[in-house]
Amino acid sequence: MKAYNEAWIYNRTIIDQAERWYRKRMLSDKQIAAVRKAYPVDFRQTNAFIEIGLFLFTTVAILGSYLLPASFFSMLLNNQTVYGVFNIAFGIVVGIVGHQLINKRSLYRNGIDNAFVVTLAGFLAFGFNQLLPNGLSISAHCLLTLPLLLTVLWYYGDTLIAFFTLATFYTFVFDGLLPFSWGRGALPFVMMAVSGLLYFLARNPNLLWSKSPIRDAYYADPQNLVQWITLLVLAASGNYFVVRELNGLLLKPSPTHAPEIDLPFLFWALTFAIPITYLWQGLQKKDRMLLILGVLGLIAGVMTFHEYFALVPLNMALTIGGLTLIGLAVLGIRFFREPKNGFTDVPDDDSPDEFFVNTEALTAIQATANTHHNTNDEVRFGGGSFGGAGSEGKY
Amino acid sequence: MSPADVLNELEKQGILLTGQQDKISDYEQKRPFSLHWELRSLLYVGILLLSSGLGLLVYDNFDQIGHGALLTAMAIACTACFLFAWRFRPEWTVAQAKNRSPYGDYALLLACLLFLTLEGYAQYQYTIFGTRYGLVTLLPALLFLPLAYRFDHRGVLSMALAALISWVGVTVRPLELYFKTNFFDRETVFSAIALALVLIGVSFGLERQRIKPHFAYTYLTIAGNLLLIALLGGLFNFEELHLWFALGLAGACIILDQYARRTKSFVFLLMSAVYGYIGVTYLFFHYISPQNWDDGLYYWYFILTGIALVAYLMSQIPKRSNA
Repeated sequence: MKAYNEAWIYNRTIIDQAERWYRKRMLSDKQIAAVRKAYPVDFRQTNAFIEIGLFLFTTVAILGSYLLPASFFSMLLNNQTVYGVFNIAFGIVVGIVGHQLINKRSLYRNGIDNAFVVTLAGFLAFGFNQLLPNGLSISAHCLLTLPLLLTVLWYYGDTLIAFFTLATFYTFVFDGLLPFSWGRGALPFVMMAVSGLLYFLARNPNLLWSKSPIRDAYYADPQNLVQWITLLVLAASGNYFVVRELNGLLLKPSPTHAPEIDLPFLFWALTFAIPITYLWQGLQKKDRMLLILGVLGLIAGVMTFHEYFALVPLNMALTIGGLTLIGLAVLGIRFFREPKNGFTDVPDDDSPDEFFVNTEALTAIQATANTHHNTNDEVRFGGGSFGGAGSEGKY
Repeated sequence: MSPADVLNELEKQGILLTGQQDKISDYEQKRPFSLHWELRSLLYVGILLLSSGLGLLVYDNFDQIGHGALLTAMAIACTACFLFAWRFRPEWTVAQAKNRSPYGDYALLLACLLFLTLEGYAQYQYTIFGTRYGLVTLLPALLFLPLAYRFDHRGVLSMALAALISWVGVTVRPLELYFKTNFFDRETVFSAIALALVLIGVSFGLERQRIKPHFAYTYLTIAGNLLLIALLGGLFNFEELHLWFALGLAGACIILDQYARRTKSFVFLLMSAVYGYIGVTYLFFHYISPQNWDDGLYYWYFILTGIALVAYLMSQIPKRSNA
């Protein structure tokens, strides 16, 4: 028994795929109608922007409802145990109300239910941690909270909860290793191993439980998120810059310049080897996630190299880097004009065009303003009129 | 769930015709993988890096490299980009038009960014605008606005609007909108409101005339945010004008709300709900903050308004398309 109607979620995946074929004229009008009839989905529809608003205002209402009794019982709540129990009780109430709403209004990721799930998990985790004895380490708190978060994740299959669960888990590993004398040195390797294992499991969930298309559909989004994050952490844990600077930060007292780390050659190799592996695998498996992370990882690798062995000053590095990227993109667009080796430049359903156009506009403004702001303060042009102190611009 | 699984499901339901399953699965297997979005992103990031790199290069080295050489090189690059974009310019039409080269839009963007660097350099080195700093921002706005229309480029349109807003004296960068704007100054607030109103009016007018109607979205997101923030800034800072700002905010929210429902662009619905809520909450706590209220009643305000807005937004959800 899960929070949402599993059959509907399953049906929704089928309809989504069928509609893709329908748009390509591979299914007839009659067939798509038959698909919609055979696989009913009764979830309420929304729109991304309305969802944001719903999430926001639901959270406002829930927090108001929390503060109301909290201020009423404020005297009692000075006791840590009572406060913990109060939080848990409130979390349970949030859960019950959310459950009613989800069922009555056929909600599924409409913003309202997301707000209920996140606040529910938050209050439960907060209350639970107050009941724990004082003096526990952060890693112990994280470890003890994990079963709770995993239960919520299992029940709701919520993407945000998946993120918090993963963050809690990584905090547990990170903080748990530091007290050991060998912990700091082993940290990158442990993080890489743990991430690799998690990625492998998220990729092949059938190793943990038997295959079930309904369950796959229910957890598709959290599963996807876990893959992104674990790959990201895996690449970051092998990156020379991250390892060296983090190592420097963890030293006590903190030095101004992070000292050289052990096995620098290994980490230099990993800085480039991991993204290249992603890219190579991404090209072989035609996996968008691996391709994107591979390219980003390589860019990060070049930036890491620039950080320690600056062959050219920053302005040159940016110019050369920009030219290189433009060149690569132009080559790619020319090369893939006609489909080659199973790749093409022609957009398909998966390309988020409209979203990209809007982001482009946003970053263009940002870049415009940047050009204006690049000047130093003593540089006269620009200073007052459009440097932020708008009052001087009387023209 | 793989496409093959879905096909098997549909086959089991008896929805597919004979041979259709093989045909579709054949298509799925042979379908090339689209790198369209990835390559465009790469191109775009490259352009941003290049223009900021060149900008830095100018500011760091203007005294070492000959001014003339640097300026000439960049002017040539800028002209080249522009000529390239012009060569593949789209046909002039009032409807949405597409550039005839995949790089045309990007070349134009790069040309515009280079122009900004060039202009800044020329102003710094030769002070060609003297102390009329306003011109420095007005010029790009006047140049980019026609370019945006001729080339049908929403990115350049946003840049033009941003330059226009800077010219009026409010620096609007989306990410710093909330931190750097100066709304304690009455003149700034009023000029921002006036500019936003002009822009919104122009955009509505052009949309009605069917001249590049798809630009309305860009106009309204930028000018709408500017208007609402300026109104809120006025509301917070000038107590003697509360009534006017409150009325203005209410009017702006209602218009945006109506527009959102008409065009089904729900971003405007969200904007009007959030800004409106901030305004109402501010007024509520400013005026209706009776001393004899205890905290509980404040919390009731958040509970009730939260629920009311949730109910309102829920009622605006678009009707199901596939039923």
